Amino acid sequence: MQKTSTYIGLGLFLALTAIPLLLGIGYALLFSLGLTGILSEGFTLEHWRAVLRSAAFWESIVFSAYVALVSIGMAVSLALFVVVRRPHTFEKGPLSFFIYLPLALPAIVMAFFIFQMMSKAGFLSRLAFQLGLTRSLGHFPDWVNGQYGIGIITAHFLMALPFFLILYTQMYRHEGMRALMQQAYTLGATRRQAAWRVAAPALFRRSFATVVLYLLFVMGSYEIPLLLGSQSRQMVSVLTIQKLQRFNLDDIPQAYTISVLYSMAVIVLALSSLPAYKWSGRKLFNRSRTVLKE
Amino acid sequence: MNVKKFGNKLASLGIILAVLFPFGFLLMLSMGRRWVFPSLLPEVWTPDNWLAIWGMQSGLGASLALSLALSLGIASMATAGSFWVSKQVAYHRHRRRWLAMAYLPYVFAPVILAACLQYFFIRTGLSGKFWGVAIAQLFITFPYGLIFFTSFWTERMLSMEHLIATLGGNTWQAYARVLLPVARGALLTCFFQLFLISWFEYGLTTLIGVGKVQTLTLKVFQYINEANIFFAALASCLLALPPVVLLWLNKRYVFSIGFSGPSRSGKSGSKDQEILK
Repeated sequence: MQKTSTYIGLGLFLALTAIPLLLGIGYALLFSLGLTGILSEGFTLEHWRAVLRSAAFWESIVFSAYVALVSIGMAVSLALFVVVRRPHTFEKGPLSFFIYLPLALPAIVMAFFIFQMMSKAGFLSRLAFQLGLTRSLGHFPDWVNGQYGIGIITAHFLMALPFFLILYTQMYRHEGMRALMQQAYTLGATRRQAAWRVAAPALFRRSFATVVLYLLFVMGSYEIPLLLGSQSRQMVSVLTIQKLQRFNLDDIPQAYTISVLYSMAVIVLALSSLPAYKWSGRKLFNRSRTVLKE
Repeated sequence: MNVKKFGNKLASLGIILAVLFPFGFLLMLSMGRRWVFPSLLPEVWTPDNWLAIWGMQSGLGASLALSLALSLGIASMATAGSFWVSKQVAYHRHRRRWLAMAYLPYVFAPVILAACLQYFFIRTGLSGKFWGVAIAQLFITFPYGLIFFTSFWTERMLSMEHLIATLGGNTWQAYARVLLPVARGALLTCFFQLFLISWFEYGLTTLIGVGKVQTLTLKVFQYINEANIFFAALASCLLALPPVVLLWLNKRYVFSIGFSGPSRSGKSGSKDQEILK
């Protein structure tokens, strides 16, 4: 027989995790189907059709995926390159502390910093002018609020790079990477082969679930694209909130439709990637411990 | 050899300067006025922005106090709650199913979760209220804490609890004398991380707080919208300061007091036995 404390604990768990999520998605689904809300006129698939036929929606999905893949791809590649080449760089000495400092910058602060650095009137533009590389403010490229999301990608890259550097440094140290490399040397591998054919793939494979979670996090990010994105090409969170807050009431069911579609995509991606790579609470616990350690 | 060492030191210095640059840049802007193109630095340097933190006009002091109260409250509640609930989940026969459920709010974009839940907050009168934002933030911090602690409850912990019961100890004594001291490092780490999640939160706070719960992240955005970059930089510095202090404290104290979290290898066993004695 289960104890009362177990029932209370599981009740609290449901009240603070599953129930809010189900309520939220349920309400969004009903609203998107015209079954609730001030404008509801009974069941309709019109809003779903409108969203699925809308170029803006697909463009925002593709743009979100592009931003996430490019920024995290660059951060993971560079972090792997540095850690595999120089595994002890961030293990000891002042760098073992300083590498944590970028994690202290909230997304909104990072977005503001990038804006002040990369906009047409920003620090880099001023530097380019002083060095004679540009003749006026207008000559500086559109790195912020531009079509290619360079500012957004830079901000996410700068936030993700220290995280993956710390992660791979700790993994290299704690997950038997030295022994694996040694084994490769014994079997006749060169330094380069041991690094790129053994250590790098092993580190990437072990971090795959974290990489997927980080990709999802970047795809759903809000503050950075809100400040650094363009009006014509928006990331999915920004598009959803803008549709929700517009004066056109017809946009609200579409905002909820996008929310439901996004929720389903995230749930499928998360659940399909987590068990496959044996993502467990223990890993998160250890990772958090090691990320904050030193 | 010396050249290589010098090169390494130079590279380390370069990385440290690159890491410190954003902090220095924001500090510079927070102390400046009149930064007209193409000047590299502000024309006027003044501590007035910093002195105005507690002034009524800027409202930054009030935002700082509100953010601190909110984040400290959320971190305390979520750490304590998730520690206790995680035990019930960890020892449940369907542990993996429960845990899979806990991952969902954790991977969800908080702003979209807030958009979906906004209706319920409006209906319950919690929209635009401090407590509304606090409850909404619990929905993202509590699952994180739960996932974090679930692995703490190992077979060894269960055996220790059984031992306490065999020796005549009650549940309260088990928590006060054994489980909490053993989990001290994990509790502090989790508290810091939950504090940071709450401290950094913007989208969910904006939607549920409808702009009325003016945390520091909202202030930064408000100043950016007003094109007041100097106050935005000042608010950014205030936002970055507590995490930096926490990082330093974390490095200095949390792991120096000895992390005696779960260990299957039994390395921390001697410490547990000492506590049991």
